[in-house]
Amino acid sequence: MHKLYSNKKVIFSLMAPGLIVFVTAILAPIILSTYYGFTNFSGIGASSFIGLENYKTLIHDSVFWTALRNSLLLSIGFICIQHPLAMLTAVKLDKLQGKTEGLFRCIFFIPNVISVAVIAYLWKFIYNPSFGLITKVLRALGYTGQLNPLGAGNAIWAVLLVLIWHGFGWGMLIYYTGVKNIDPVMYEAAAIDGASGSKTFFYITLPLMKPVIQVNVTMAVISALKQMETVYLLTAGGPGNETQFMASYLYKQAFQSYKYGYGNAISVAFIAICLVSTVALNRLFAERGE
Amino acid sequence: MAKIKAAVINKPGRIVTIAVMTLVAVVQMFPLIWLLDFSLCNSNEMFTSGILVLPQKIQWNNYYLAFTNGNFLHYLRNSLLINTLAVIMVLIISIMAAFACGRMEWKLKKVASILMVMGMMIPIHATLLPNYVIYDRLRLTDTIWALLIPYVAFSLPQGFFLTSSFMSSIPKELEEAALIDGCGIYRIVAIIIFPLMKASIVTVSIMTYLNNWNEFMLATTYLSSKRWKTLPFCILEFTGQYSSNYAVQFAVMTLSAAPALIIYIILNKHITKGVAMGAVKG
Repeated sequence: MHKLYSNKKVIFSLMAPGLIVFVTAILAPIILSTYYGFTNFSGIGASSFIGLENYKTLIHDSVFWTALRNSLLLSIGFICIQHPLAMLTAVKLDKLQGKTEGLFRCIFFIPNVISVAVIAYLWKFIYNPSFGLITKVLRALGYTGQLNPLGAGNAIWAVLLVLIWHGFGWGMLIYYTGVKNIDPVMYEAAAIDGASGSKTFFYITLPLMKPVIQVNVTMAVISALKQMETVYLLTAGGPGNETQFMASYLYKQAFQSYKYGYGNAISVAFIAICLVSTVALNRLFAERGE
Repeated sequence: MAKIKAAVINKPGRIVTIAVMTLVAVVQMFPLIWLLDFSLCNSNEMFTSGILVLPQKIQWNNYYLAFTNGNFLHYLRNSLLINTLAVIMVLIISIMAAFACGRMEWKLKKVASILMVMGMMIPIHATLLPNYVIYDRLRLTDTIWALLIPYVAFSLPQGFFLTSSFMSSIPKELEEAALIDGCGIYRIVAIIIFPLMKASIVTVSIMTYLNNWNEFMLATTYLSSKRWKTLPFCILEFTGQYSSNYAVQFAVMTLSAAPALIIYIILNKHITKGVAMGAVKG
């Protein structure tokens, strides 16, 4: 190997920007967050060190558990509703060929390129009890009662529906890429052997898609944990704290309840949960893959 | 290949498939069509019973109001500027780091690449609170840096990962020839590696754009004046200002959705490919 390749100065200069960004913008805030997590800082004024007090509160904080439950519900919604639909759509789409295929693929992804702010406000109107789309459709179907999808008891389902709808195109596209990567010879062989459509799907498509499914499931869980923007704009975690997710809850604690220290403790727990889930899912899939 | 597949699927089957796809497309698009429809209406027409309304007179005035009173161009410019700068920075930093970790010889390169990728697992909103204190102390709140730094930092792990995996597929012979000719490392990266990375540059750019274009929480927390606010604020401000004039709000929403949509339709193929590549590898 050429000696230039081990020149320390060059290596350092190439790595420096990346490492500086990592240390200053990711590592430093996390360390600072850990520090504030041990205090009762309110955002302004003095604060004192209170040890693990915030974490003790956190364990008994029912809203935190609601947030976790909501993330879990959203993951289940993604994996059990969005993904099967996305996969079936992808498989069918692959068979269309030509211009129609391209057109549908283009349409399905459109909600993903539209800003979350637009999506959230749009659905707020769709859910509006007096003139929203849902109300109008229900009235057209002969339903006369009052329904407020964003009201108490319903809100979390309304939020899940938006998120599942919005992310559909993304999931579809990834499954679609997976389907496209399957060697067509496999399908030809199946067709020659006289396999039916559903058999082909269960014995060829599904097993060969396994790596793609694993990637998609991991991403679904992570994005369910990280959910923030849509929910914040749609319900701001309300009514009550029914639709709170971890990120929106830490924001609320820090900037609306002035419990900055507590908000940071939630941040730390949030990071830990994301790290553990990612590692656990990767482990799980790695073991089963062998 | 295409012929065989087309032969496998029979005519009626194809029609059923197209019908199902159309249904899915309607479900995906209907809310947006509804949005467009009412953005052209008079506010009172929204309260009629029809699911979609044919406006008696198309209200272009809604768009005129949205365009002039919403600071649309100002926010759009900010969004474009911040996102483009973030993309450029992510690209340069990740290509440099990917070269150092993938090609050069040093002891800690494994550790360094793990550190660089680690960020992918950390949620951006977990740094919302501590960064607020940091930026406040450094007087960075309400400057472009308050958005650029976190946007770059949280897009970098994925950018680094994608460029690294792509770089490993570039043969080393080209660089070795250049080295023998007396070319320095920086020139190799700039002149030989950079042009060969086209596909991954497109992917990284698209992923970075999609990550940050929607971002709104950091912007609303760190920015107080109009100076650097991004496109989502166009809608937020309008809903306050015209809280009873729904049609105008619809027009603002359509208008804010338009730039990304137009770019998507133009670059459709690249974006689809980019996302597929980015997601499958990431």
